[in-house]
Amino acid sequence: MCGIVGFFDKTGSGNAPIGKIMLRMLEALCRRGPDSAGVALYGPATNDALVLNVKVGEHGDFREKGLQLAEKIRHFARVHQASVLGEYLRLRLEWDQGVRQLQKQIEALSEGVEVVSLGKQLEIIKQVGSPDALNHTYGIDSFVGHHALGHTRMSTESKVDLSHSQPFWAHGIADLASVHNGHITNYHKLRRQYEQRDIRFYTENDSEIIGVFLADQMEHGMDLKDALKASLRTFDGSYSYLAASANTLAYAKDRFAYKPLVIGETDEFVALATEEVAIRAAFPNETISTREAPANYSHTWSVPQEVAVNY
Amino acid sequence: MKKASIDCRGKTTREINVQIRDFIADHATEIEILSPAARHNLGVATIEPVKMVFDGSVGYFCGGMIDGPEILVRGSAGWGLGETMMGGTIVVEGNAGNGAGAAIRNGTVVVRGHAAARAGISMKGGLLMIGGSVGYMSGFMMQKGTLIVCGDAAEGLADSMYLGTVYIGGKFESLGHDTEVSEPTDEDWKFLRENLSRFELPCDRPFRKIVAGRRLWNFDKKDFDIWKAVL
Repeated sequence: MCGIVGFFDKTGSGNAPIGKIMLRMLEALCRRGPDSAGVALYGPATNDALVLNVKVGEHGDFREKGLQLAEKIRHFARVHQASVLGEYLRLRLEWDQGVRQLQKQIEALSEGVEVVSLGKQLEIIKQVGSPDALNHTYGIDSFVGHHALGHTRMSTESKVDLSHSQPFWAHGIADLASVHNGHITNYHKLRRQYEQRDIRFYTENDSEIIGVFLADQMEHGMDLKDALKASLRTFDGSYSYLAASANTLAYAKDRFAYKPLVIGETDEFVALATEEVAIRAAFPNETISTREAPANYSHTWSVPQEVAVNY
Repeated sequence: MKKASIDCRGKTTREINVQIRDFIADHATEIEILSPAARHNLGVATIEPVKMVFDGSVGYFCGGMIDGPEILVRGSAGWGLGETMMGGTIVVEGNAGNGAGAAIRNGTVVVRGHAAARAGISMKGGLLMIGGSVGYMSGFMMQKGTLIVCGDAAEGLADSMYLGTVYIGGKFESLGHDTEVSEPTDEDWKFLRENLSRFELPCDRPFRKIVAGRRLWNFDKKDFDIWKAVL
């Protein structure tokens, strides 16, 4: 059992209080996932620079390790900014080659290093513990932006640590992230197929396959919308999952409708959550009509292209 | 008539349900519950003929196991609306999540909007009426009672039903196994009009009647294909 939440500002203003919204929604669902909490926040685009959140290791002095790592990265990338917060090294840098290449080079620098998120707008922050603790460490309540995903985790199959927490960045595609509630039962079979193609898995968590699958489809020319539809045909088991890219928020639900997902939509925004209580907690004064997402179905909300460019 | 009111803000679900009981013990006949904010298990297992009005959306299992009350929800409801209720009436003005009216034994559940997957699953009696459409596998394994859907139904409508009746006013994506479709009789139309008009739901739809084909009641070698598909 997990809690997943999503928010999308349909006006395209780019200054919705997404940090606060995510926190309120996650706190309402914390009983569905006491193990860990995380958010994927989509802020304004950072010109040509990429923003990376890098996990620097399991133990030790994160600050010292992080700054040492940043020094090594300066040898091959133009780093504008490097800072250590909590367990993460946050980098803003320029890079003109492929995303996978950058990720590989960084992760080869030291054992336990993992690029947790990478993109022009995306920042993933997650840790073991409650949403409240997440805010205490990272101050996410001040974050404004355009759309966001959130997750509270109750682990059933794999271990409880930062790497196994959600959201997952879809390694290989900038700004693509997902959160999942359920169990993808053909995970091992799919994972074997990808590993034969030399694709690295970071966790034993079945939810990781969603990002791997979507990234693979998109690297082969599909857009997110079609990749979601393809996932409905490919994934077995129970799932409601949300995915987001730089300008899109999307959901998909399995053909048996085993897992809940409530949609609350107004002219200004859409809020998605495992339980309606999360939507009511984030928007207590609004009369939002809600509905349950249908079985075997996916849907996307996108910013009109011109708005996305003019951030 | 004695009215009472509860504001849910700042209260736990247990405190709200205890307060509902205290009001009933104090002979309240109508209780308004303000700001329910989609909490779970509201008003469950109430067995007195009291009216409860929830001014907003309710969460999972609202009105579950009740016997006798009249519940009005001025919003939507989560999963398991009125699950295993024994009697009484529940009316939801908005939509309902999965398993609305699941395993009800008696009484009436009305959803004015849409209901999600498995509406009326395993019904053991009573009446479930949906003003809009229903999701996947609605009426699955129902054993008794009546499900009326004014709108459309997704895949597998009334799959493996034992007994009971489903009426559908719109289209269905596919029928479940072992079902038979027929035109409602005059008596059926009378039943439909009576019950739908009681809650101001549309009676003017081209309703069709679905009942069990009864081929799954006993195993027969000639029905092997349908058994293979079901199991």
